[in-house]
Amino acid sequence: MIGAYEISLLTTIGIAVTFALSLNLVTGFCGQISLGHAAFLGTGAYVAAMSVVAGAPFAVGLIAGGLVAAAVGAVVGLASLRVRHDFLAITTMGVGFLFVGFTRQQDWLGGEMGIAGIPEAPFGKVGLMVVALGVAAATAAFSVYLKRTWMGFAFDAIAADEDTARTVAIDVSRYKLAAFALGTGIAGLAGGLYAFNIRFIAPDSFGFVESVTVLAMVVIGGIGSVLWVTVAAAALAVLPQWFQAVDDYKLLLYGVLLFTVMRLSPGGLAGLVARLVRGVRQ
Amino acid sequence: MAAIDAEPVQGGATQGDRDMRSHALIALAVTAAMAAAGPVTAAEPIRIGFNVPLTGFAAADGASAKNGAELAVEQINAAGGVGGRMLELVSYDDQASPKEVVPIANKLIEQDKVTAAISGSYSAPTRAAASIFQSAKVPYISAYAIHPDITRAGDYVFRTSFMGEVQGRAGAKLVGDILKKKRVVMITLQNDFGKSLADGFKEAAGTFGVEVVAEYEYSIKDRQFGPIVTRVKADAPEVIYASGYFFTAGPLVSQLRAAGIDVPVIGQEGYDSQKFIEIAGAASEGVIITTSLDRDSKDPEARDFIAAFEKKAGYPADMVAASGHTAVKVLAAALGAAGSTDPQAIRDAIAKSHVKASTGTISFNGLGEVEKDVQVQIVRDGRWHHFAVIDDRKLLAAPTN
Amino acid sequence: MFLVELFVQGLIQGSVYALIAVGLTLVYGLLRILHVAHAGLFTLGGYAGVLVTNATGSVAVALVFAALSVGAVGMAVYRFCYEPILRRPPYVALIASIGLFIAMEELFRIVFGPFGLTYDIVPLQGSVVIGGMYLRSAELVTMALAAVLIGGLGLLAGRTRIGLAWRATVSVPEMAESFGIDIVKVRYLNFFIGSALAGVAGVMVSVLNNLVEPTMGSVASYKALAIIVLGGLGNVRGTLVAALTLGVIEAYGTIYLAGFLDRDAIAFAVLIVILMVRPQGLFGRSA
Repeated sequence: MIGAYEISLLTTIGIAVTFALSLNLVTGFCGQISLGHAAFLGTGAYVAAMSVVAGAPFAVGLIAGGLVAAAVGAVVGLASLRVRHDFLAITTMGVGFLFVGFTRQQDWLGGEMGIAGIPEAPFGKVGLMVVALGVAAATAAFSVYLKRTWMGFAFDAIAADEDTARTVAIDVSRYKLAAFALGTGIAGLAGGLYAFNIRFIAPDSFGFVESVTVLAMVVIGGIGSVLWVTVAAAALAVLPQWFQAVDDYKLLLYGVLLFTVMRLSPGGLAGLVARLVRGVRQ
Repeated sequence: MAAIDAEPVQGGATQGDRDMRSHALIALAVTAAMAAAGPVTAAEPIRIGFNVPLTGFAAADGASAKNGAELAVEQINAAGGVGGRMLELVSYDDQASPKEVVPIANKLIEQDKVTAAISGSYSAPTRAAASIFQSAKVPYISAYAIHPDITRAGDYVFRTSFMGEVQGRAGAKLVGDILKKKRVVMITLQNDFGKSLADGFKEAAGTFGVEVVAEYEYSIKDRQFGPIVTRVKADAPEVIYASGYFFTAGPLVSQLRAAGIDVPVIGQEGYDSQKFIEIAGAASEGVIITTSLDRDSKDPEARDFIAAFEKKAGYPADMVAASGHTAVKVLAAALGAAGSTDPQAIRDAIAKSHVKASTGTISFNGLGEVEKDVQVQIVRDGRWHHFAVIDDRKLLAAPTN
Repeated sequence: MFLVELFVQGLIQGSVYALIAVGLTLVYGLLRILHVAHAGLFTLGGYAGVLVTNATGSVAVALVFAALSVGAVGMAVYRFCYEPILRRPPYVALIASIGLFIAMEELFRIVFGPFGLTYDIVPLQGSVVIGGMYLRSAELVTMALAAVLIGGLGLLAGRTRIGLAWRATVSVPEMAESFGIDIVKVRYLNFFIGSALAGVAGVMVSVLNNLVEPTMGSVASYKALAIIVLGGLGNVRGTLVAALTLGVIEAYGTIYLAGFLDRDAIAFAVLIVILMVRPQGLFGRSA
């Protein structure tokens, strides 16, 4: 028997895992660093929220959010064809700031006041939790499947070395765009779920801090590793709740944690576990 | 003196009457609480949930709000609690983030089993939490968040502070009616607080013959206002209406003065902190704001709060602290009046509140929006002082649906 | 006239950006890491400025103290934080740096309180009128410091042996090493100078605002990254131009674009447009 508190935590976890895995597709699989991924969470959240406030069914809102986010993501993906590495990281960071800066000035999007009064999902809080966990599981399964396809192979090759990938006749541009569209589309789904869960959205919820948080989840988990990114996302999502006893120090601990993991295990949790396993075998 | 500091004040009742009634209520409260909660010891405290930003960008306001709320709880408990039961504040850091507040609200309701809750936080988390408290039918009072949609979450949600629009309208009256100035330049903070103030100000400007010459916007992260100051100088207004918090308004006002702009600057409750005066220094002299705490109040409730707060916190009281304090006092009074911990009874008691608190006499309209006077304060000799009171109920009327 | 005043205001903001961003681009040029925690060092400079000025009554002493102490902390950051992970992929240093920055901000809040600190007597408060334009002394000093320090850095790099070793290390580290240049020493020097500049910027911003808050570095943490990318990562001259340009664009944008985009969005819109045209930044060597 779980109560409303556990339900809200599990819903939060489902959304965070979906969001982190969506970035993992772009950054982990295809090697395209993004520091503006929250913009797509926000796009999905706004589209979904506005759809259901206007009376559309929740499923329609959710899917519309994913599709619009994917479309915007594909456009941003075009940037990845022009700039690389750190330049791309900063360009995507810029996209994140443009999203927030634009949204807050648009009255038809609620402007600074955001969108309040998003109706409660007809399937209830438990239903929402089930949907959030289901979407997360589906995203994880899709990620694992993708790794085994030709596309997954192409992503790998691009992540390893773009120029070499090109020489073996991989259409780098096409796959990069595909990675962006997929990753941002799934982020859009997570955004819709976020809007249904929090039932209030405002531009600041999708800013730089959120983008950094999700990138931290991916890197702490171990870039590219579906299992450990899932674990890291789940853990980091509920970390503030665990640390409530030391509320005053929890952000300090979070900062120290990010630093320590990178310092001691640059491969994240996945790298740490791999090393441990190797140690045991020897 | 009755057990509850901020006891309900009924029009026309004498002190004796009220004491009698309070005692009767307390007796009722004890019986009802025992009936409702089964065999409990009288010592079991009444738990009040409190979400407040202690880390992140809003940590300064969070610290003050928490100090204010804690002071109220200490005062009430020192005077014997509510109906013989002590109050206990169960507080969590929400980082002023709607995402963080959702599990917190659920935890307060379900695990901590709070009787009622207070928001010591900003608008976005308060709005997100309001829906959850409403669904669970746990009374929720917003201490100083300004978003108009907060009380629209439902009938269990109240606000003891002014909505942004209401305070903006008061600002227009201050400019046009009290100061008799016409040409105003607006400098608006780009967030929900600044926007709603600006909306209210512009809405009422015409009524008081105030003409908005220009409006400039800045981000909450800005501390340097060179371009805006330059532009305002060229506009040569008679008065400046600038929204902001003490950490933006302090630098803004000192930069306006340094550029030789000496027309009055009108601010709001966001300025209302000694820190504003500390930052702007001599430039803060003569700045006038609309707020809810009167530093020169003759009212013992406010005077007592101002003195006790400085003693507890080690720095002078500010608007946020007074708001946290007021929200707890209003809730405690309602708990006493309801005479039980039944949520419906508490909700009804809050709705009928008529409570003297540090930020004035609090009552609510049908939507749960506060009805109280706007205090106009001015900086003189490095301290906030009384300047005027705006009590025009029609002007200050909050929406009722 | 008004347009000229806006331009000057833009240059003031640009000078602050330049002082912060030059250090950042030096670090990038040498180590290829996006050193977000640089903004934490900037904030540390602000605290040093207020505390030392309040204790000694002299902002000059505070400036020197901030430059030296923040420079030293910068070297320690390199030694204990970055050196062990230099050979890792760049995102490792990025996340470590972000973690470090968050921890620094929180330490400032816990140690000095959330309300921020102010000067007992604010230094450099006079103002001068130049052609009908009011300029605060603090603004003039900020511009002068930026010009002198960054100019001096240019001389150091261009005219001295240390500078030669430094530039060699930045452009071809392997070859520099084979010529007997002590790369580690160059890195320390690099961090010391970059951090000292951020410390000076921190003092000047704390004077300009008469306020130093735990979150003072939050804007610098991302905007400085945009500036060094615009300047062509690792290029000091480009960074200087990018910083001043961005300051000026923001000054005009604040007035003329406010209803459409906020200040940050204006900066990044410019960045994205320029990168789409010149993917290596304004002054970057083309790849």
